[in-house]
Amino acid sequence: MTEFMGYVRPDGSVGVRNLVLILSGTLYANKVCAHAANIILNSVAIEHPLGRTQVKPDLAMTRRFLAGTAANPNVGAVVIVDHFREEGMTAEDLANDIAFAGKPVATVNIRTEGGFYAALEQTLRYAADYTRTLSDQRREAVPVSKLVFGMNCGTSDTTSGLSSNIATGMVSDRIVAEGGRSIMAETTEWMGAEEWLTSRAVNQEVADKILAAVAHMEARALASGEDIRGSQPTGDNILGGLSSIEEKSMGATKKAGSTAPVAGYLEICERPSNTPGLYVMYGPGHGGESITSIAAAGAQVLVFSTGGGHTISHPIMPTIKATGNRGSFAAMQDTVDLDLSGILHDEYSMEEGAQKLFDEVLATCNGRLTKSEVLKDHNGFAIHRIGASI
Amino acid sequence: MKKAFVIEEQDNVATVVVEPIQQGETVASYGRVKDITVTANQDIPYGHKIALRDIPRGETIWKYGLSIGSAITDIQAGDHVHIHNIESNRGRGDKAKADQTVA
Repeated sequence: MTEFMGYVRPDGSVGVRNLVLILSGTLYANKVCAHAANIILNSVAIEHPLGRTQVKPDLAMTRRFLAGTAANPNVGAVVIVDHFREEGMTAEDLANDIAFAGKPVATVNIRTEGGFYAALEQTLRYAADYTRTLSDQRREAVPVSKLVFGMNCGTSDTTSGLSSNIATGMVSDRIVAEGGRSIMAETTEWMGAEEWLTSRAVNQEVADKILAAVAHMEARALASGEDIRGSQPTGDNILGGLSSIEEKSMGATKKAGSTAPVAGYLEICERPSNTPGLYVMYGPGHGGESITSIAAAGAQVLVFSTGGGHTISHPIMPTIKATGNRGSFAAMQDTVDLDLSGILHDEYSMEEGAQKLFDEVLATCNGRLTKSEVLKDHNGFAIHRIGASI
Repeated sequence: MKKAFVIEEQDNVATVVVEPIQQGETVASYGRVKDITVTANQDIPYGHKIALRDIPRGETIWKYGLSIGSAITDIQAGDHVHIHNIESNRGRGDKAKADQTVA
């Protein structure tokens, strides 16, 4: 049984980080959060452009993203800041949404506090107290079955489907075999590989939901004038050597591994059940929105497979970037954590590559910082939208 | 000798990922299946596929251990395998669209 050292939370989940999250409820509270996080050790701010004048379903979506992020086990305590009173989206509403997690939560309202300075001072006091409290907590040995492992790919190239995606899938298979769970989103990339996913579904209901999700995403794109299936493979894909939509999709979907059962279908940001397995989540191809929805569902760590090299990193979920392209690693090694190009350069086998990636995941869960964490480059937080601003 | 990468045992194509291959060059497989040797019948660019054995018309093209389409002509070992000699079993969206445009 493989173990890692994590922070055991009141609800039984386990964090691989122990952060104080300073969460902005609305864009007009962003800078209070950002200033406080600049000052307080071990805190991180989440800023975003939403939270007001959204149609109801879109506002509810924003709330799922924010609440899910705050509930993530990597967050030890939360300070939520809002600026006025937004119906259906106050700091208290968000605090109630995450009450189940049993972690300390404080709320600050800029208007009630008496303005920017007062709100900033109150936020600093809460965050400072939480940071001291959390500093008493120690990591404990827990089984890998406590992991919810996220997977994503982006800035993909020819090497992605042939090496880093496959290695990612093998890591997922191993975590699931040890009783853990993994989450893959990016519904657009299932298109052409649906049958391979549905054949691994634990029941017909899950299989039907996968097919319905692909149809829905396709219709959504078509309504915006984008014919996804009708343009696959693209001219660039064909020049690059891809001959069919299934060849393209398999390359992406290989990061779902090959042995883990598809235990469930999740709506965006939905938390998986406790049953071990691979969970497939409805979601867009947008990298930031995708990894943010996976973090909001409770994933503590994510592998981002990137043939071209990427800078993406989520603020509270360590985002391990791995590439199978030697040139991309050389160009992007400031932010890409792991070079897996030895697989295609015939220096080690796929299994050995997957072992390197598994070791990196485990080390990261034990506390090794990703390169982007060291740079405080928290660029990967993005909220999916389903309605226009009003 | 040039190389082409094989993902799974049942694959009948390999992908060129280290350096492009010129017609007439000898190509050895590596990855899951090692040391199948074929002679390239055409140039094979980076990222493109080469047949590891003869694939009669109608047979499945295996990559990732999964079907990525079927041969629409008889393919010889060493042939460049691409849209001119294989076709998706799921329909080629870009082609369907082009046909529609012509009609």
